[in-house]
Amino acid sequence: MRRQGSRVAGKPAVVLLVILCLAAGGLAQEPAVHYWHQGVMPPGAIGSRQLQRGGPLAGFFQPVEIKAPHGVSISLAVANQFGPPQEAPRRVGLLIGSVYRLRVTNIPLPQAEGMEIFPTIEIIDRTYAPTDQQVRFAIPVELAPQDMELALQGKFVTRVIYLEDPHNALPTRSSDGQSWFDVAPGRDPLAVADELGRPVAIVRLGARVPDQGPDSNFYFGSPAWVAYPPRTAAQARPVRETAPARPAAAPQQKPLP
Amino acid sequence: MRVWRLAIIVLGTLILCSCRGPTSPSSNQASPQSATAMPGRYAALPPQAYTGMPPGEPCPVAPPGMEAGVPLAYTAAGPWTPPGIIPPWPSDEYLRDGGNAGPPLRVGPNGELLGLEMEDTVARYSTLDGRTVVEPSNKVSLYSPHFHAVRQVVDVEIDQQRNRATGVAEPLKPLAPRTSEPVALNTQNLRAVRDISANPAVQLRGRASHATLFAELRPKAFDNFYRVYENLAVIRTGIYVGHEEAILAKGTQAAIAWDHKQAVQIYLDNQAAGATVVSQKPQETYGFGSAPNPRLRLIKVASTPVAEPGDEVSFTIRFDNVGNQPIGSVQIVDSLTTRLEYVPDSAQCSLKARFSTQPNEGESLVVRCLLNEPLPPGHGGVFRFRCIVR
Repeated sequence: MRRQGSRVAGKPAVVLLVILCLAAGGLAQEPAVHYWHQGVMPPGAIGSRQLQRGGPLAGFFQPVEIKAPHGVSISLAVANQFGPPQEAPRRVGLLIGSVYRLRVTNIPLPQAEGMEIFPTIEIIDRTYAPTDQQVRFAIPVELAPQDMELALQGKFVTRVIYLEDPHNALPTRSSDGQSWFDVAPGRDPLAVADELGRPVAIVRLGARVPDQGPDSNFYFGSPAWVAYPPRTAAQARPVRETAPARPAAAPQQKPLP
Repeated sequence: MRVWRLAIIVLGTLILCSCRGPTSPSSNQASPQSATAMPGRYAALPPQAYTGMPPGEPCPVAPPGMEAGVPLAYTAAGPWTPPGIIPPWPSDEYLRDGGNAGPPLRVGPNGELLGLEMEDTVARYSTLDGRTVVEPSNKVSLYSPHFHAVRQVVDVEIDQQRNRATGVAEPLKPLAPRTSEPVALNTQNLRAVRDISANPAVQLRGRASHATLFAELRPKAFDNFYRVYENLAVIRTGIYVGHEEAILAKGTQAAIAWDHKQAVQIYLDNQAAGATVVSQKPQETYGFGSAPNPRLRLIKVASTPVAEPGDEVSFTIRFDNVGNQPIGSVQIVDSLTTRLEYVPDSAQCSLKARFSTQPNEGESLVVRCLLNEPLPPGHGGVFRFRCIVR
């Protein structure tokens, strides 16, 4: 009789064990996208999770070009204090997964004289440019005047920069600024960027300086960064094909044998 | 029964052990790129690098997984590619143009190309026996990543309360028509007795075919000087030279149109000869009189392997009749990808040809080059055009 009872109690236990094993296995498979994260997560959380996925990300200085309106100065943190301001655009190499605090001054907006904003940049993925073209194809991080105006009004702006999927590209010619759009209410910007391409960076504007002054938490540990020279005027111009000059003394080549 | 239970437990343990966990940082260091990393902490940093951490001390505030300090830089030995993946990789950083990616193209009953997709580059021609053949070109890849942004603005509200609308109190429904008047009378239509005037068309102002508008472009003279990227023997003369294989393969994928069998050609009295392979003899015999074998070879090259948005890129397509009989109605078709914008009037051809464009599904253009005259065996030409990267 006792043996019969153990058999009856054992079957549900075995079934439960099998179900739990299968469910645990399914939950452990991480998707290749960021859907499980949200754009409102604290700075550094998404990038550190990306590092844990592996790949050639840790220790790689991803070239980034920080753009801003003419006259804006940008400082990066060094040893828990901001370095000397330099006029935008700036090209720097940033580590993936780290968070970089910037100080933006000389904002050319009305009623913004003497005001500063402190955006953060978090690189969550890298690009794989040809060896000698990595700095040329830096990720553009644009501090738009609209974003800075909203940040000065006390709003919090999150920009997720993503690499566009060529098969879902917009059929418009690129303008001088980076094209962007506002996410629909109730939608997560990281999930939207994941649908349209591959998110590579997150910019957050609107943070406030702590009342007791900036500390190491404010600078996120001042992670290392690399300075690259800015673009020259020739590099900034788009490449245009020019017809080769017709040398007077050169023999006429025939296109066919 | 006990054995079965043990088997279930072992199976469950195996499933739990097979779950993928986070990759340890040490495994990352074993990658080829990181093999040169961290020989001596800050010594590995570039000379222009800055660091906010005092040497030898851990990072005071670091993201999870990096408590021991921020990893130091390593020198990338080149673009990293996962093992087993054919470059170029990753695909979202490259623009591709050329070849036939989808199902094989075929010609419809009215001579139209069926199955032409974005990025396809093909040529179609008619043979002496009445067949219409479609040949794809090789693929060309351009490194051109394009970035966009998604923005979210959050406002902080204090001491405010939002009240939702609870619904419509008295919805008004449309009333149904109460009465419908039947038609009581039919008015007799008056038939036209005669035409008062008829103006014949004196000038053809527009022409539409198959509900799709073709934009006719004026033929333009071919600039007979070659660009730097075109300075290859196979582009200039159509003769394949072995040492150019590496240059041609750079930035291209699956050069299906110019492998050795098709490329090495024998010319006898200025006529391409078919090859007769005899297995008993250690040589190949070339001669006239073999079976008709119409064949068109397409080689496509781009002026640059990398391009930023706004840059201009030239594409050159070398076409050659490598068969042993003339081919007619040769038409080269290139369906541009969305991010390539055709520069108007930039099409050129070394032979007399007509150019036209047609919108494709990627809101770019299909560029066509239709040769005016048949292409004899052993002859070929160059078709080039320019695009702006969007």
